[in-house]
Amino acid sequence: MKLTSFPIYLLFATAVAAAPVDFVRDVRPIFETHCYECHGEKKHKGGLRLDVKEAALKGGDNDGPNIIPGKAKESSLIHFVTSSDEDEVMPPKGERLSAAQITTLTTWINEGAVWPDGVDLVKLKDKSDHWSFKPVKTFTDLHTIDAFIDAKLAEQDLHRSQPADPVSWLRRVTFDLTGLPPTPGEAAAFLKKPDPAATVERLLASPRYGERWAQHWLDVVRYADTHGFEVNTERPNAWPYRDYVIQAFNNDTPYARFIKEQIVGDALGVDAATGFLVTASVLLPGQIGKDEPSKRLARQDSLDEMVTNIGQTFLGLSVGCARCHDHKFDPISAKDYYAMQALVAGVEYQDRELHTPEAVAARERMKQIKTQVAALEKQLSRFVPLAKSGVKRPMITARENVDRFSPSKAKRVRFTIRETNNLEPCVDELEVFNTAGANIALNAAVTVSGEKVTADRHEQQFVNDGNYGNSRSWMSNEMGKGWVMIEFTQEQEIDRVIWGRDREGKFKDRLATSYFIEIADASGTWKTVADSDDRESFDAGKATKPEFATKGIPKEEAEVAGKLRAQKIALEKQLSGLDTTQKVFAGIFRKPDEIHLLNRGDPEQPKEEVIPAVLSTLGDVRLDKQSPEQQRRAALADWIASSQNPLTARVMVNRIWQGHFGVGLVETPSDFGNNGMKPTHPELLDWLASEFIRSGWSVKHMHRLIVLSETFRQSSASNAQAAEKDSDVRLLWRFPSRRLEAEAIRDSMLAISGQLNLKMHGRGYDLFDKRGGLSGFNPVETSTPENQRRMIYAHKVRREPEAVFGAFDCPDAGQSTAARRASTTPIQALNLFNSRFTLDQSEAFASRVKKEAGEDIARQIQRAYQLALTREPTAEELNDTLPNVKKHGLTTLCRALFNSNEFLFQP
Amino acid sequence: MIHHAEHLSIPGRALLDRRQFLSNSATALGSIALTNLLGIDGLLGAESHGPIIDPARPYAPRQPHFPAKAKNVIVIFCAGAVSQLETWDYKPELIKWDDRPLPGGPAVTFQGPAGNLARPQYAFRQRGKTGKWVSDMIPHLAELTDDIAFVHSLTSKSNTHGPAENFLSTGFVLDGFPSLGSWVTYALGSESQELPSYVAIPDPRGVPQNGANNWGPGFLPAAFQGTTMSSKNPVRHLAAAGVSADADQAARSLLQRMNARHLEAHPGDSKLAARIASYELAARMQLSVPEINDLSTEPAHILKSYGADDTQNPDKAAFAKNCILARRLIEKGVRFVQLFNGAYASGGKLNWDGHSDLKAQYDIHAQILDQPAAALIRDLKQRGLLQDTLVVWCTEFGRMPFFQKGAKGRDHNPDGFTCWMTGAGVKPGVSHGVTDELGQKAIEDIHPLYHFNATILHLLGLDFEKLSFEHNGIQRRLTNVEGKVIHNILS
Repeated sequence: MKLTSFPIYLLFATAVAAAPVDFVRDVRPIFETHCYECHGEKKHKGGLRLDVKEAALKGGDNDGPNIIPGKAKESSLIHFVTSSDEDEVMPPKGERLSAAQITTLTTWINEGAVWPDGVDLVKLKDKSDHWSFKPVKTFTDLHTIDAFIDAKLAEQDLHRSQPADPVSWLRRVTFDLTGLPPTPGEAAAFLKKPDPAATVERLLASPRYGERWAQHWLDVVRYADTHGFEVNTERPNAWPYRDYVIQAFNNDTPYARFIKEQIVGDALGVDAATGFLVTASVLLPGQIGKDEPSKRLARQDSLDEMVTNIGQTFLGLSVGCARCHDHKFDPISAKDYYAMQALVAGVEYQDRELHTPEAVAARERMKQIKTQVAALEKQLSRFVPLAKSGVKRPMITARENVDRFSPSKAKRVRFTIRETNNLEPCVDELEVFNTAGANIALNAAVTVSGEKVTADRHEQQFVNDGNYGNSRSWMSNEMGKGWVMIEFTQEQEIDRVIWGRDREGKFKDRLATSYFIEIADASGTWKTVADSDDRESFDAGKATKPEFATKGIPKEEAEVAGKLRAQKIALEKQLSGLDTTQKVFAGIFRKPDEIHLLNRGDPEQPKEEVIPAVLSTLGDVRLDKQSPEQQRRAALADWIASSQNPLTARVMVNRIWQGHFGVGLVETPSDFGNNGMKPTHPELLDWLASEFIRSGWSVKHMHRLIVLSETFRQSSASNAQAAEKDSDVRLLWRFPSRRLEAEAIRDSMLAISGQLNLKMHGRGYDLFDKRGGLSGFNPVETSTPENQRRMIYAHKVRREPEAVFGAFDCPDAGQSTAARRASTTPIQALNLFNSRFTLDQSEAFASRVKKEAGEDIARQIQRAYQLALTREPTAEELNDTLPNVKKHGLTTLCRALFNSNEFLFQP
Repeated sequence: MIHHAEHLSIPGRALLDRRQFLSNSATALGSIALTNLLGIDGLLGAESHGPIIDPARPYAPRQPHFPAKAKNVIVIFCAGAVSQLETWDYKPELIKWDDRPLPGGPAVTFQGPAGNLARPQYAFRQRGKTGKWVSDMIPHLAELTDDIAFVHSLTSKSNTHGPAENFLSTGFVLDGFPSLGSWVTYALGSESQELPSYVAIPDPRGVPQNGANNWGPGFLPAAFQGTTMSSKNPVRHLAAAGVSADADQAARSLLQRMNARHLEAHPGDSKLAARIASYELAARMQLSVPEINDLSTEPAHILKSYGADDTQNPDKAAFAKNCILARRLIEKGVRFVQLFNGAYASGGKLNWDGHSDLKAQYDIHAQILDQPAAALIRDLKQRGLLQDTLVVWCTEFGRMPFFQKGAKGRDHNPDGFTCWMTGAGVKPGVSHGVTDELGQKAIEDIHPLYHFNATILHLLGLDFEKLSFEHNGIQRRLTNVEGKVIHNILS
């Protein structure tokens, strides 16, 4: 801080012989005139307010405490009012404090800053005195949604609209629950025998339901299939979490259980569920700076994403706000925030093996096959010529090379590359076999000359991790050279090294074309056991031969070798078909970091250590700082998933309500704090919450209550008088129609054109020419059965809007999307009218219609209307459309239907 | 036609809440009147609140908070982190200290161990009336220094490209926040109704390091997302491939009639009307976008002055065409143009990330940037467009005064780097802020990038504290809870 230009002596000169400064008489008037505009009841700039004792003595966010009793010179309040720096002097505008006023303040502080109790004219708002922090009301009488809605409408002299016609209701409820339109057959059956309850059961039982509602959840948790940030690398094992969410909705997993599984599923046998913890963007190890502050900041950012996600998703609280200072509006202190970090401080953003019974069995099978392969290799190895034996050995291949030598004792093995065919060398796997035929390099200690890291692709530890292929390999950081050294815990007798550039056979660049292998025994003496000098000289154009097919072995032996090799190939084929390595990006759990309160959220300014605990005003769960990792998350999950937690049920029923009416009863679905909107129908919200808990946290039960209500069933037609009173339809005097979301539009177009592929689950299909990376994404424009699956099964590239539907407010998975906007833009119109997708689907739609309706054009038009809009065309529409279709073909009508408001809006 | 509470601030909405929609009589007012009413009530007064967007015309021009000096913006965004030491921040001390270790310097920086200090890799000389020292790397831009306001003392919150480009473009290091251009067009709309209000022009060599997040709308409505186009790649889906003009027109008019009938049956629904309007706007865009991209109407001397005719250097020619495109967009009233120079991470081959062999790589990159960018500014000035247009040159952070160990390049440095502005409302010929004598850290008038962004908003007549949007319980701003206008560089 700069020295002030204010005469220093004044800071110490107490007004001699005057009566002590009185706060109310002398000090407060100065604050009132000069400070309260920015530091009073309405505004607290810099977190400072000077109108309430408690807050004033605590001070602002950055320079507090601003008043240090007895020490005017050290009090930043005095610094700021006396500063000569225009940028920091207070007050920033208007008249500066006079010398006399400064003397008064200085004297007052030096005299101990006496601020009597009970003199303040305002009180601090009690942040915990807020509706959503109070227990959910319990109800004993019978209630209905409609009665609550009607009561509020009556207060405004409004009333519900007429029921919608049956087809409108059917279309609405089908979109709402499944994200697809009803088929003409379903509509006909419903018209014949309207049974809403049975219809709702049919829809809830459909797997399409989970696909629709999982999307709402994935929006909130910002799910994506890439890691985000600059490199935006593929996150290839994220999708099991997406599938888990779909299944959970389809199974009607009780919501309390759903919460627990997502926080501590590893303890509940539901591994994929903890994908929730690590949905955010993250910098991978190779993308973080090598300097320590960079590492600390990256870790803090990744922990912050977890805390923020948990806070907003389950509790509807912006807990993340307290990262830098106490929450401005809610009773969440910075300490609370870090205590919550401590609950997840052992979670790392990484893949974990799936422990499903199938995966475990497959892994067992893999182990068996690998043993068999190893045995075969051992048998085969006798056909491989010994290195340095004078025999010319085969040329190096990019796929696999065997270097056999006479059994030797080794503590260390070093593989040194002298030349490559181009660029820096890359090795996907280096295996060292002992005389018993076991690969002892697997996961042994490894050192390299240097490495060029591409996170999740080229890293040192991949050179002996047992995984083949370019995407699990080591790359040197030097052109044409580099070395890898494996060290065993104890000396071993070895006779073979097998290495390759890419065992999957896709890459042939970066190949070591000249190398030598040395071993050192326990005494540390190095000797060369093999090198490339006795191999046939490398020629990229030449076909490569299998290692064992050497000249000069007898015919019978060659036959044996051929058989063995055939067996080996067959086994390896089985191996690549096994779904053993299925992992899920659901975090790994380790000893938790020690968490400190951080001054202004800065990892370079740690303060006291914080113990793991839940938000202190909402619970009293506090754990020992030694408590094990899983126990922490279990405690957190139990506290959130409790029927006593005032927020959990309310927040979820509000999300469900929003999914049906477009807007929640609380309009800010992820903010139930003081700064959020109050519920339009507080009683209804509490009744729904209590009903939710009573039903055993059944989400499907809530859907039934809502979609079978008369409120949901009413017409969406507007009326001017009611609109004048409640233009936003928050009181629900009609059904608030809204545009379909991006996914529902795409999926519905496919359903109508007859192209929708209902294959569920699994790895996502490609929207772009790449699944991740930093060099830009080009959309895939050709329709295939695979990419005609529902959009929830698309491989979601974070931040990259899908080329056609991204413009329809599709979340980019950067931050959480608790409620989608429904904006209207000309880009949407261009995309939906002109894209290859629309044109293809219009063609498909037209041929489907022709197939189903025959040659008669009027019948074709009828069928097209039935499929797209669930109704018959009127006579006027038929007359208008007929000449068009005759002249320009049915596709023209199909394209127009896909773009029509009637198709794009829920009725 | 106007959408309501969605665009009010939290305090405004809380008031609505408390009064149950202001009781019966007051709710009849349109939202503008409503906002006024709340303003008079004192609750919105100085508090933040967003603009009111007419869903039928999301790009309609809107009033700023106070009279603006600049109407439009071109941001020249150099991806990969341009070294301040080879360009605008002259450090003669470094020549003296060349190839000596920095006493007390960091042992390890972003990419690894630090090597010795290294002199500026280009000669510097004084330019123009102000005598500003600028390097020979960028001779054309150097001639413009009398018109430029430099800020030499910027800092970033991250030393990693991805988060740092986020920070520069969105004010947050994390993914998913609205970009500067989205904020500006959300606030101000555009003067053009036939072109996207916000255009991002990627470098001909590829997308910048943090890709689409640099022009993403975050949680703002999708209408304010940057639309990508370049001289090579026009806007997608401008026409239906393989559909005859007749059939196309037939589909369009059939759709029009369908929607008209539907609207008739659903009177009073503004969303339906907005959607119809968007198709009309799209139809106009189909004509105006190809026109704007057709550079054949540019005279030869203009192409030459930008370097667009350089057949020896296709990357330079392509970037020059992007610069001309930027000018044409501004001429048509497009509010915000982001012009990228430099592509994705590539060991410094395709952008300014000069870790290993800085001089050799910058020789190439400077060729591409210099003449076209300088010509753009000159051209804008000569046409009188610079009076209304702010031109910003920026990069995500700077570079270290020392080389990396065993290399001839500099590592990332977020603690003191240079960006600049020129044009509408900018004080010409000033250099503000100072780094230490080796150019490693800002030491005087230190400005986190928040301040730079706040200043851009200020020039557009926007109060960086007022321009906000509610997201998950937080009234979000471009500059988070920080920000300050750098008045020293304003005219």
